[in-house]
Amino acid sequence: MQLVISNLSKRYPNGVQALNNVSFTIKEGMFGLLGPNGAGKSSLMRTISTLQEADSGSIFLDDLDVLNEKESVRKILGYLPQDFGVYPKISSEQMLDHIACLKGISNAKERKETVDNLLNRVNLFNDRKKNLGTYSGGMKQRFGIAQALLGNPKLIIVDEPTAGLDPAERNRFYNLLSEIGNNTIVILSTHIVEDVRTLCSDFAIICKGELLRHDQPDDAVNELEGKIYTRSADKATVQQLKEQYQVISVQMKSGSLSVRIFSDMDPGNDFKCVSPALEDVYFHQIASKMDMATI
Amino acid sequence: MFWQIFKFELVYRSKRPASYIYFFIFFLLGFISIATGSSPASEKVFQNAPWTIADGTITFSLLMMLVCSAIMGVPLYRDVEHQTRQYFFSYPITKGGYFWGRFLGSFFYVLVVGTAFNWGCYLGAYMGPIMGQVPAERIGDYGLWNYLEPAFLYGFSNLLISSTIFFALVAVTRNVKVVYSASILLLIGYFLSNFLVRDLEKRDLVKLLDPFLINTFQLETRYLTPFEKNHLSLPFTKVFVFNRLIWMGISVAITLFAYWRFSFSAFLNADTTKDTKKKESTEKTPISQPLKRVTQDFSQGYMRRIWWRLTKIEFLNIIRDNYFKAILLGGLIFLILDFWIGNLLYSVPDRPLTIFLMDYKSYDYNLFIFIILLFYSGETIHREKTTRYNIINDAMPVSNVVFLFSKFCSMVGIAIILVTIPMVLGVIIQLLKGHTDFNFSVYFIELYVLTLPGFIQMILLSFAVHLLVNNKFGGHGVSLIIWVCLFLLRSFGEMDYNLFFYFYTPNYRWSDMNGIGHFLEPQLWFNFYWISLGCLLTVIAFLFYQRGIAGGFKERWRVASSRLNGTPRNLIVLFFLCWIGSGSFIYYNVSYLNNYTSSSTSERNSALYEKTLKKYEKKLQPKVTQVLMHADIFPDERKVKIYAKVSIKNKNASAIDSLHLLADDNIQYRILYNGKPLEYKSPLLFKHAAFNFLKKGMDTANYRIYGLPTPMLPGDTALLEVYSVIENKGFPNSGLSREILENGTFYSGGIPSFGYDPNRELNGDEDRKKYKLAKKEDEYPDQNDSEGKATMLFNDDADLIHFEATVSTSKDQIAIAPGYLQKTWEKDGRKYFQYVQDTPIDYFFSILSAKYDVLKDSVTISNGNKINIEIFHDAKHKFNLDRFKAAYKDGLEYFSKSYGDFQFRQMRLMEFPRYAGFAQSFPNTVPFAESFGWVADFSDPNSFDYVYYVTAHELAHQWWGHQVVPNKTRGSNLISEALAEYTALILTERKYGKDNMKRFLKDELDGYLTGRANESKKENTFINCNRSYQWYQKGSLILYGLQDLIGVDQLNKALHEFRDSFALKENPPFAGSTDLYAFIDKYTPDSVKYYLVDTWKKITLYDNKAISAKSVSVGKDLYDVTIQINTNKFYADSAGKETLTKMNDYIDIGVFAAESTDKNGRKKVNPIFLQKYKLTPGQKSIKIRVKGKPVKAGIDPYNKLIDRIPDDNTVDIE
Repeated sequence: MQLVISNLSKRYPNGVQALNNVSFTIKEGMFGLLGPNGAGKSSLMRTISTLQEADSGSIFLDDLDVLNEKESVRKILGYLPQDFGVYPKISSEQMLDHIACLKGISNAKERKETVDNLLNRVNLFNDRKKNLGTYSGGMKQRFGIAQALLGNPKLIIVDEPTAGLDPAERNRFYNLLSEIGNNTIVILSTHIVEDVRTLCSDFAIICKGELLRHDQPDDAVNELEGKIYTRSADKATVQQLKEQYQVISVQMKSGSLSVRIFSDMDPGNDFKCVSPALEDVYFHQIASKMDMATI
Repeated sequence: MFWQIFKFELVYRSKRPASYIYFFIFFLLGFISIATGSSPASEKVFQNAPWTIADGTITFSLLMMLVCSAIMGVPLYRDVEHQTRQYFFSYPITKGGYFWGRFLGSFFYVLVVGTAFNWGCYLGAYMGPIMGQVPAERIGDYGLWNYLEPAFLYGFSNLLISSTIFFALVAVTRNVKVVYSASILLLIGYFLSNFLVRDLEKRDLVKLLDPFLINTFQLETRYLTPFEKNHLSLPFTKVFVFNRLIWMGISVAITLFAYWRFSFSAFLNADTTKDTKKKESTEKTPISQPLKRVTQDFSQGYMRRIWWRLTKIEFLNIIRDNYFKAILLGGLIFLILDFWIGNLLYSVPDRPLTIFLMDYKSYDYNLFIFIILLFYSGETIHREKTTRYNIINDAMPVSNVVFLFSKFCSMVGIAIILVTIPMVLGVIIQLLKGHTDFNFSVYFIELYVLTLPGFIQMILLSFAVHLLVNNKFGGHGVSLIIWVCLFLLRSFGEMDYNLFFYFYTPNYRWSDMNGIGHFLEPQLWFNFYWISLGCLLTVIAFLFYQRGIAGGFKERWRVASSRLNGTPRNLIVLFFLCWIGSGSFIYYNVSYLNNYTSSSTSERNSALYEKTLKKYEKKLQPKVTQVLMHADIFPDERKVKIYAKVSIKNKNASAIDSLHLLADDNIQYRILYNGKPLEYKSPLLFKHAAFNFLKKGMDTANYRIYGLPTPMLPGDTALLEVYSVIENKGFPNSGLSREILENGTFYSGGIPSFGYDPNRELNGDEDRKKYKLAKKEDEYPDQNDSEGKATMLFNDDADLIHFEATVSTSKDQIAIAPGYLQKTWEKDGRKYFQYVQDTPIDYFFSILSAKYDVLKDSVTISNGNKINIEIFHDAKHKFNLDRFKAAYKDGLEYFSKSYGDFQFRQMRLMEFPRYAGFAQSFPNTVPFAESFGWVADFSDPNSFDYVYYVTAHELAHQWWGHQVVPNKTRGSNLISEALAEYTALILTERKYGKDNMKRFLKDELDGYLTGRANESKKENTFINCNRSYQWYQKGSLILYGLQDLIGVDQLNKALHEFRDSFALKENPPFAGSTDLYAFIDKYTPDSVKYYLVDTWKKITLYDNKAISAKSVSVGKDLYDVTIQINTNKFYADSAGKETLTKMNDYIDIGVFAAESTDKNGRKKVNPIFLQKYKLTPGQKSIKIRVKGKPVKAGIDPYNKLIDRIPDDNTVDIE
């Protein structure tokens, strides 16, 4: 099973080009989607989730025409939006039961079992009778995860699923995701770049609606092996360095500024070679597209 | 500190767009009401008269309550809402400065908006004539203060009341939602209390307690004549002062209380959200299991299952909503009250028949339903979006159709509940009232066949709008605008072509006699038509349904076109065909078969009629001398065929060369003149009415001129044979077309009349001016006009005639016409009845046919003649037969003794369906509407026996109208109506006692004073009377007053003599108002001649008032009563301008003991002193010694005189 996205474009009525001729293929397994705010990640995910029309292009899940056979897509879809609301006066248990129904789980007993299990897995079991209106941000997010995993989804799209989760809950979620068997495509967007490295077999970086990179995390990182250098500097020096080198990030590190640059050869000038991280790939790609004001 | 906060508030308000919108809306309301002439001012009152502006200001200040709640609710809440209270209160501000600064700053703004209506009126009065929307003469010349004064006098204090309530509510509860609910509740509560006091006799109390002065103002000014409304300064009488003292006091108290309760710390602390109950699960957490595959079932059953599930959930969502419950509760309260009280006639309720209940439900309940359907249709469509759950929901595998159809079905479910409630409540109330004839078929047809489709139409339209607009508030706005436009166009645009007004259908009415009758068919067609359109719109809107994230217009259009295939496309075609098909059929019925004419076309036709044909008005025509009629009534086909042999005679002094015949629109006829057909021409052809574009040719005005082969010389006679067919083809746009029915035909036409009919002319001054016709001062000529004196009022086609009729009808019905039944027979499955009237009668007859039960009786009158009494009634309506019969018996005896012989040997009365609500007196035949007492509930012994009274009135017409036929001169109708009303009153007084007439006299007085206050032209003196409020109400009052002065026998003698000299005169001159006056004058002693002149030849009003009364016991059950009274007399001109005059008139002074109850349970007034005093103007003190404990005393306590303020004539004794 694979998801083939071809020449997908979308422009919003206010003129923003959300997707610009995006084409790539997603295979089974976990797929990470990286990109700065406003890059078009959510637009892409909503389009795959049948919630948004594209101006042109196509999306095929094997033979299934995602853009035109929405109803069939929805039967195998699990979607966790970035931002969503709930009915405040209904308990999570009732709500999940309802969603399970909509997802075609017609047997009441089976429904209860799977709902209870999911609630347990997202650690909401004890709060399952509480009205959703009383849930904290993290609890609400976990509810969202539970509903996305209901009903054997083959295509799971989770838009920043770990936002608002504490580290423990985050781990719990990743464990849950990793359990989802083969034959499933999971598309995950996140700002935590390292998570992609640990979880995903495949990833893409998009920026300003364009696909910048589509690769396997390890390959991408390996590519930069020996090309990332770092040194600490003060503010004034940073400006100088920016003019001299291809700076990909400037970060605060234990009180002083740490500059990372991309260079094919040893730049000298106090720079030390470091082993690259996926974040370097990310910043390197983004920096080519826009000015990274990391500090 | 105060000033800073006050200023901050003003600046804040001035930056809010809402502030300007509020102002603009009320400005527009004022502007429109004046500039388009839509204010409630009657024709002789200026659109911008002080009264009109004040009336509008007060009414709209009530509506301003909503604005008050929006403006006064927020100033304190703002700090809660934006969390600014967290730091705001840490600033060095004082409680007083904060509280009063916020309050006064906002209230100042409320006051500014409060004058918007008045500024709108000011501009409207200036612009109206320029825009040509209102004639310049309807705008008076007033200064700016005229417009603003009502705001200062009444409006502002109303605003203060609302404002303090809302401000205080937020200050105390810290919750702004309370305010919105409170404003709705206050409005409902206010309407409710108005409703409850509508029939209350304690008007003084209402005036005092109305917080918004609406009733106070209405009651205080209800008798103001047009002149007074234009010129008098606005009233601010004692009752206004006390009312304002009470309510201002309450407002101040509320505000002070709120100030006292308000504290910073309370505002600072604690959110007001409710503590959520912790529902910790006690179950043990199960062991985590890996995610398992579940079985999913998306087969055929899935759609049905999910549809049902979603429908149920949405239905419960609405039912459980608190606002739904609140609105429904409001509706229920009104429904119960409407059902319980019902429709009162002379303050007497009807029995709770199902057919009545079905009327009452639309009084108030339907408004609540409308709000619910409109509001919740939008809510349900946007429910997911409102909570932003849609982003999850829209990715679910439920199809758009199932999703929306379930919402639609849940709304239909709500509609079914709402439509069933009246049946449940109706049955309960019927049971409580001991009425067990539930008539469930009426409930079912009315509720589920006639009402429910309308509700579904509302839902469909709302769905279509909300789907297209795709925004909750926008959707609500657009649907509201649509409905308001429909309503305004119909109410003020004078448009009523139902095919153009979504949801509207022709009117219909249930009848116990005729069931739903011929109304069912058009209802079904129209409902089908509108549901088809509703479905069509909804399916089209469905194409534009936005699932997921909103896209631009282009995208929506693209999506819609891609959805336009398969089922949606077929449905669109299907609904379109249904809509157009049923529309065409309706069009064919309404416009083609029934010649729909709009009111403006009718006006135009009337003007054209007058302009073209007026020249024939004096054209000499023959008179009918005999009618031999053969009428076949076909109830099932709603058709009547008439063959009439009409003998005519030239009674003029010169020859007649042509016959001018005028007929009703719905009759087709041909004539033979002396056995031969005649050629005719139509001098007037109307242009086609709008909406009749498919019909070829011209509509004639149904005015034909037949040239005679040889002129009819004076004294010549001829035989006119008329063949006419009256048919109801299809169904019309509106109107009840009540005459020929399946059960209950009552038809009085069929034979064309002679010549030009001035009654078809336009009457109103404004209308006539519009069509450049001269002003019409009086309809009839002066009393001395010789032609007028030689013509009968109700018919200028004949003097008295000989009449015979053979009427046939279906086998199960009885057919009736004036005359004595000779024989009946059956032929070809039809029943025939032959009637012969062996004495001459007025040319005024009707034919009736229905399934009747007959009550027979007889009475022997003073001359020894036996009169047969027959009452034809519906089998179910036996309740009040005794009352009809008693009136006939008492009346026949008393009238024949007092006024002269009864001219017939029988007197009949027959019920007809309640499509009209009157009774009418034909020779020995009185058709009497179903709703006019047949099913009235007289169980309260104090109720006014109007059945007896009205029957007596119609019987009296056999003397006044049929024996003495009024001529066609000014005021002559009083001979018919005032005398009938008066003699019926005397008969009622004989049965129910002199001392119990007050209530009736007061009703009559109220009718007269209200009538003259709403006069649109000019008020005539009684002798020249031309309005029903004069000949009915004023007539009975002043004749009753006269007999009170000269004695009933004296007046009877005068009437007897009058009757003797005019009764059954076959030749002119006929009686006019001056003739009657002369006879009465003869029997009026000089000492009270002033009264006769005052009441007949002048417009006279008294201002009688009891100021106080004291009593001192002088032992042995004797008391000395001292009464302070005041009296004045005024003469009014025709516009209502009054001038004080001197007087020395007889007026009753009365002292009363406590009321008691007689043996029938009837309340009894107990006068212990009642005597006429000759009084001069001004304040007097009168001392009287009475026996028995006095309780009340007063001047003219029975309201025998025409008194400007009838309520203040008696006072309690201290």
